[in-house]
Amino acid sequence: MYTNEFEYLAPTTPAEAFELVGRLGSKARILAGGTDLVVLMKDKLTSPEYVIDIKNIKEFKGIKYELGKGMTIGATTKISEVQYSEIVQEKYPALAYAASQLGGTQVRHMGTIGGNTCNASPSGETPTPLVALGAKVVLSSAAGERELPLEDFITGVRRLDLKEGEILTRFILPEPSPKSVSRYTYAGARDAMEIDCVNMAVNFELEDDKETIKYVKFVLGSVFIKPLVSKEVPALLIGQKFSDALVEKAVAAAQGEAKPISDVRASEWYRNEMVGNLTRRLLKEAFAAAREV
Amino acid sequence: MKQQISLDINGRVYDLVISHRDLLVDVLRKKLGLTGTKKGCGNGDCAACTVQVDGEPTLSCLTLAISCQGKKIITVEGLAQPGGALHPIQEAFVNQGAIQCGYCTPGMVMSAKALLDKNPKPTLEEIKLAISGNLCRCTGYKRIIEAIEIAAATMSAQEVK
Repeated sequence: MYTNEFEYLAPTTPAEAFELVGRLGSKARILAGGTDLVVLMKDKLTSPEYVIDIKNIKEFKGIKYELGKGMTIGATTKISEVQYSEIVQEKYPALAYAASQLGGTQVRHMGTIGGNTCNASPSGETPTPLVALGAKVVLSSAAGERELPLEDFITGVRRLDLKEGEILTRFILPEPSPKSVSRYTYAGARDAMEIDCVNMAVNFELEDDKETIKYVKFVLGSVFIKPLVSKEVPALLIGQKFSDALVEKAVAAAQGEAKPISDVRASEWYRNEMVGNLTRRLLKEAFAAAREV
Repeated sequence: MKQQISLDINGRVYDLVISHRDLLVDVLRKKLGLTGTKKGCGNGDCAACTVQVDGEPTLSCLTLAISCQGKKIITVEGLAQPGGALHPIQEAFVNQGAIQCGYCTPGMVMSAKALLDKNPKPTLEEIKLAISGNLCRCTGYKRIIEAIEIAAATMSAQEVK
């Protein structure tokens, strides 16, 4: 298996990258870790004339956190850096855990957080918790920058609201509320190297009584064309005291909202069962954790 | 598109003419004769092609050779000790019978090397995680894991890198 012939370009500054991406437009594909793009190229699903490698641009990588302001994560930050970052583990545990469950060791050391989003596979691991955590993407070009909530940036299966000349350069995560917790869970055929048949993440906060739900953002992956932000689960839970009966209502609501398909990884029926099981497990886990903070 | 590049492999700098699309695994095996690195699935699913690039375990079947300029590449051939003796990881694989058909072995050894470079005293769970992307078609995982445990102990005692 070989890719098509192409010209490889490796800019070292953002300005060079913006100039190339702007000039070459749809003739070029942007390369980061290569764990998705090179596979697509080998399968001839994409055959760009130019490959623009943005890994050597230091401005596009790294994790920065400022207390009270939140975090920025450069688009070419490796999945393994996100996984092992102590500040990500502390402030955004759902994201650190999702990163740790992506692919295998080699894939996590090659693949990037921006690549996982731009691949725009519905089963991607990191977009689900990023959306739950309120992440925005920064899209940069020679003309300037714009910000967009991640759930609006991914528009469908392998579809992005990325205009010609733009590069996803970083994610912005808001400072988490001090009493909030975030959790992630998934189902797949095995632990490593599998592609999730369902994944989900929740950002969850209780009132001071440690019983009443103050805030929920609940996001499902691999059951829709893009990360699915639940409307019904927060509507059911917020303002209510947590109980098993309430969780069962949320389970039914999540199963109603999810629109899974049957494919090689799982049937529609199985995915819907797993949405129920995982929703139950995740909400109980988040509740138990939120009572401890 | 062809270009002359230099690659630092196992401490030696090679000057090569490559196509931009050439993958590191093909350059190692076909242009340089470093056939220790195996090409299994070619799609990043089996990790038989694992090498170290700047210390990180890397799938050479998904890595463009041209993107490795200026980086330090270590393949299984680069593990030999002064005088040609086997590296403790290789020795442990031999002694534990952690090799059946042998096809996954270089990738397993290189994954173990990347782990032990960073974490000289890994737990059993950490060893399993480090090789969780490596496929052994003979399913001989138990002895591979034991070999890595023994290699870790030997290397810590001998202070081998």
